Amino acid sequence: MTRRTIGIVDYGAGNLASVQHAFHMLGHRCRISGDPQVLDDCDLLLLPGVGAFPLAMENLVASGLDRYVADAARNDRPLLGICLGMQLLVDSSSEYRLTAGLGLIPGTVEPIAGARWHIGWNRLETVTNDAMFAASDRESFYFNHSYALDVPAAYQAALARSGHPLVAAIRRDNVVGLQFHAEKSQAAGRALLAAIVDGLCR
Amino acid sequence: MIMKRLAAVITVRRGIAVQSFGYARHLPMGDPAVIAHTLDRWGADEIFLNCIDRQQHGPDFALLDRIGKLGLATPLIYAGGIRSQADGVQVVKLGADRVAVDAMLRDSPQEIHALSESLGAQGIIAALPVSLRGGRLLWRDYRRRTDEPLGETLLETLAAGRISEALLIDWQNEGTSGGFDTGIIDAFPVSTMPIIAFGGAGEPALMQRLLSHPAVAAVAVGNSLSWREHAVQALKAGLSGLPVRRASFAGSEVRA
Repeated sequence: MTRRTIGIVDYGAGNLASVQHAFHMLGHRCRISGDPQVLDDCDLLLLPGVGAFPLAMENLVASGLDRYVADAARNDRPLLGICLGMQLLVDSSSEYRLTAGLGLIPGTVEPIAGARWHIGWNRLETVTNDAMFAASDRESFYFNHSYALDVPAAYQAALARSGHPLVAAIRRDNVVGLQFHAEKSQAAGRALLAAIVDGLCR
Repeated sequence: MIMKRLAAVITVRRGIAVQSFGYARHLPMGDPAVIAHTLDRWGADEIFLNCIDRQQHGPDFALLDRIGKLGLATPLIYAGGIRSQADGVQVVKLGADRVAVDAMLRDSPQEIHALSESLGAQGIIAALPVSLRGGRLLWRDYRRRTDEPLGETLLETLAAGRISEALLIDWQNEGTSGGFDTGIIDAFPVSTMPIIAFGGAGEPALMQRLLSHPAVAAVAVGNSLSWREHAVQALKAGLSGLPVRRASFAGSEVRA
């Protein structure tokens, strides 16, 4: 295993300690920062997020980190978004009001079809041959969201089923998003995070 | 499909984890952070940190900070003393994934809307201590020690889509083994809201019955987890035919 430095983008969105701890357990270093100079030295950028889309995007824009993260991704730097951090990767969200996202993967964030929320543990169903997701097929992960992604099938990596299928993981080259909290999904979550770091940081 | 959950409750009074009996008698158990760490290793589906004496003091930020720094790999719900949007946001920043509110439902339902705009509805649980008398569901006010029917304001708040789940606490049977009054579930009038059942729900056959109810998303268990090693695995092993995640033990910690 190569020890990597994970840059956890700090834009005031929720608890970062669990994400940091998860990567430490895997043997990686973490830098929690909103300072581009610190984040520049990291191997992988992690965009966390808990809460509602408009406020998170507002915080990203206010700090200028929206441009930094988008530019980094467009310059082929590995980027992982978790939960709300995944939703921020797409074009827009209708949560509370229409809000533009980072536009790194085509798609929108919409209310979950047929249900108000998707809360709890659910099995992942991979829909890609991507090696980083292979071992996570049928494993259970912790979801906690009321809006979900609508993205083209080409970018879908895994689904979860709760009545309707929900997009659970996405990938576009160096950009990966997880709708669920891998850092709060115990051993299965850590195994997936290990595979993602390994897969993105080559 | 989404699975039914077993939430492990840590009841905290004066900063110490306690076994609680009807919220009236308490036996000290030790450091809540140590217990949280243990439950994290035992593979609970959620850990519910329930600080029961924070009405006058606000959330126990110091305790949350300590537990947050453990970097739990299990989702954490916090309840206790949340009075405002700012309180709820700070609780999440310190390590909780979701918050449960009680007094705020009575004192400032408008704050629920603000909190929901910050955390999303999925991050908010309504904690409702209730009892069933003569077929009527009564809502307990701990501060006044009174019981009253669920009022229109509360029902409107619950139905407004700003809160995701209702934690129905059978406060009279809290601390008993198998005392949870299942009639509470059927009497709860907000049919669209998933329920977490808590209060005397730790007996396996009762847990099986509760989790079989379509409205029940989770059962929360406190005292009985303290009576044996690996209690989460043992309880889950007793559940059959239900969509429940197999409990894992953190001894299988992944290292790349």
